[in-house]
Amino acid sequence: MSLMHTLKVGRLARKLEEILKVPQHAFGYPLLKPAGLTPRAREGLIHLCPGEAFAEAEGIFSLDLARCVGCGRCALVYPEAVGEMRSLEVAVTRKEDLVQRVDLKRGGFLDPGPPPFPRTALRLPTLALREVSAGDTGLADSEVALLGNPFNDMGRFGFQVGASPRHADALLVTGPVSRNMAEALRRTYEAMPEPKGVVAVGNEAISGGVFAGSPQVLSGVDRVVPVDVYVPGDPPRPGAILHGLMLLVGRMTQRLVEGVLR
Amino acid sequence: MEKVREALREGRPVALFPYGDRVLLWVERPGGQKGALGLTETFLLGERRRFPSLAAEFPALDWFERALWERGFEPVGHPGLKPLRRHDLPYTFREFPLLHEVPVGPVHAGIIEPGHFRFSVLGERIVNLEIRLGYQHRGLLSLIPGKGAEAALLLVERAGSEPVAHAMAFAEVWERALGWEAPSRAQYLRRAALELERAFGHMGHLAGLFTDIGYAYGATQLGRIRALLQGELDRLTGHRYGRNFLRVGGVWREGQPDLEAIAAYREELARLLPRLLKNPQVLDRMRYVGGVRRAEALALGFVGPTARASGVGRDLRQDDPLYPDFTPVVRQGGDVLSRAQVYAEETLKALDYALFFLRHLPAGPLALDPPPGEGEALVRVEAGRGEVVWFVRVQAGKVVMAEGVDPSFKNWRALELAVRGEGLPDFPLCNKSFDLSYAGSDL
Repeated sequence: MSLMHTLKVGRLARKLEEILKVPQHAFGYPLLKPAGLTPRAREGLIHLCPGEAFAEAEGIFSLDLARCVGCGRCALVYPEAVGEMRSLEVAVTRKEDLVQRVDLKRGGFLDPGPPPFPRTALRLPTLALREVSAGDTGLADSEVALLGNPFNDMGRFGFQVGASPRHADALLVTGPVSRNMAEALRRTYEAMPEPKGVVAVGNEAISGGVFAGSPQVLSGVDRVVPVDVYVPGDPPRPGAILHGLMLLVGRMTQRLVEGVLR
Repeated sequence: MEKVREALREGRPVALFPYGDRVLLWVERPGGQKGALGLTETFLLGERRRFPSLAAEFPALDWFERALWERGFEPVGHPGLKPLRRHDLPYTFREFPLLHEVPVGPVHAGIIEPGHFRFSVLGERIVNLEIRLGYQHRGLLSLIPGKGAEAALLLVERAGSEPVAHAMAFAEVWERALGWEAPSRAQYLRRAALELERAFGHMGHLAGLFTDIGYAYGATQLGRIRALLQGELDRLTGHRYGRNFLRVGGVWREGQPDLEAIAAYREELARLLPRLLKNPQVLDRMRYVGGVRRAEALALGFVGPTARASGVGRDLRQDDPLYPDFTPVVRQGGDVLSRAQVYAEETLKALDYALFFLRHLPAGPLALDPPPGEGEALVRVEAGRGEVVWFVRVQAGKVVMAEGVDPSFKNWRALELAVRGEGLPDFPLCNKSFDLSYAGSDL
């Protein structure tokens, strides 16, 4: 793609529906198939998953998308038990909506009811963002930065990153919140004027990810500041983060309910 | 002890970490044959958690000894112990009574990881910079022992912002500890992913530099090609940053990157990068800023492009027999422009080697299971920022002990040196020219 091609085409920005798709060559998010959850498959999935996303308790088999590292091995080894969701519209306002739960007796998904909406005070035409990394390896930060590249161009949707929390409407937090960073995160949140929203970007920001259980981390942003939107992924692709921001300002709806796209 | 001092005078420390109640020091000495494993020497020092400090004479060991002190060891005779990662220990900043102190961080204005910088300035000129890290400390190293290969790799890939390099070093160290080697097809695929990761990372450094000097054209063009290159890394590995691609014994999958597209990006960069770096605006802002001298790079043990931009021609790929005709990219200036030139030339070289590995894939399986057993080994891999070091002892398929060093850990001192004497507004430019990983230092 050369500069002349750019001048002819006029712009590089991709359409929103293109950004929200999982690329053809990549694995999306896993989806349980209730009919295929045989005892052998369930036990195999629990042992196979490196992120320990599968669990079984009291007749309910669950898959936590906030622990999924996106390797896709479950769908490869047990295709009859695990399928795939090929959309990046995976941001949620309620943390429980990231967990798929299958009632093994009735053979279907549990239904928790409709998700809550983000606060109407955040329905702003433009959104100034501030980003805080609280123990992230740097990759989720990189994905937030790539939202501003010529292909994603979040500026056309009214989102831009500001330099100061005092001018910010929303706070993007990445990482499992290391203990040493918790105070700085709290102070950054307090420095923001109302109304203010918080988006937890990435599995580690949601519940600690692979660092859950480490004594050096607090395992989730919602233990320090209230969170409005959770974006799963390891790290989430720019399209998923964009969906999270659109969900925050009320321009898109939440599609993931109880871990399943509706 | 005299042998240790002699080795450190000739060479450079690679790693210093606990070994039971003693400490193990790895030193790299110059010379040796291509492909030889004898480039490093090991010394076992101290006893009962006490060891003699060498930091006064060899400042490259200073941060290593401070990290060991935080973990309960005592470096006898250390000139000035301060915490590195732990914030529960008291920390005293160095003070200059007549100078103005400018604290910055831990939360910065851009999209970047947190760290604290304390400047002592005279007017607008920086007299001293003291860096306090630890905000990204997650206790990663202490989580690894007791885990199997797959669970350990999950953590190792989060030891820095270059997951392929860390995973490659960890997989190879596990295989070498068991006296085994992965299939050659997997070796080629690993190196292809490593080179794509290097090219992607270097272009991020360059785009950040151009953004910092307000050169929007360069930043946009490199940002565009960088995003396209990331797409090819995604196609090869299944992840935008190469995670979940490597495993002990080989690689998990083999994607289908578009080789013609990579060649086209390489050609476009070959035309674009020299032009960008000759722009008078770029030269005016980058030349003679943030200098690091060769003697400083050698004394403090800098690695990677930081060292090569200061005239230290050391690259671990020289010793890798799978890289044909490899020569490091070296500059002598040591300033921001030299580092930018090293990034630019290494990007083109990395894409050349990525294409070589992908076009000459040998036949064979993607992965095999290594034999059971026990052992220990140390492996180094040249990541985009410098050498990644992993030392692992395995037994019955589990990690007994694991120690890793990210290249950023060795290069933070370069930033402190680079900004001395510079104007305070030039600090972001100097910082971006190193573009170090905070999480990689705060393991």
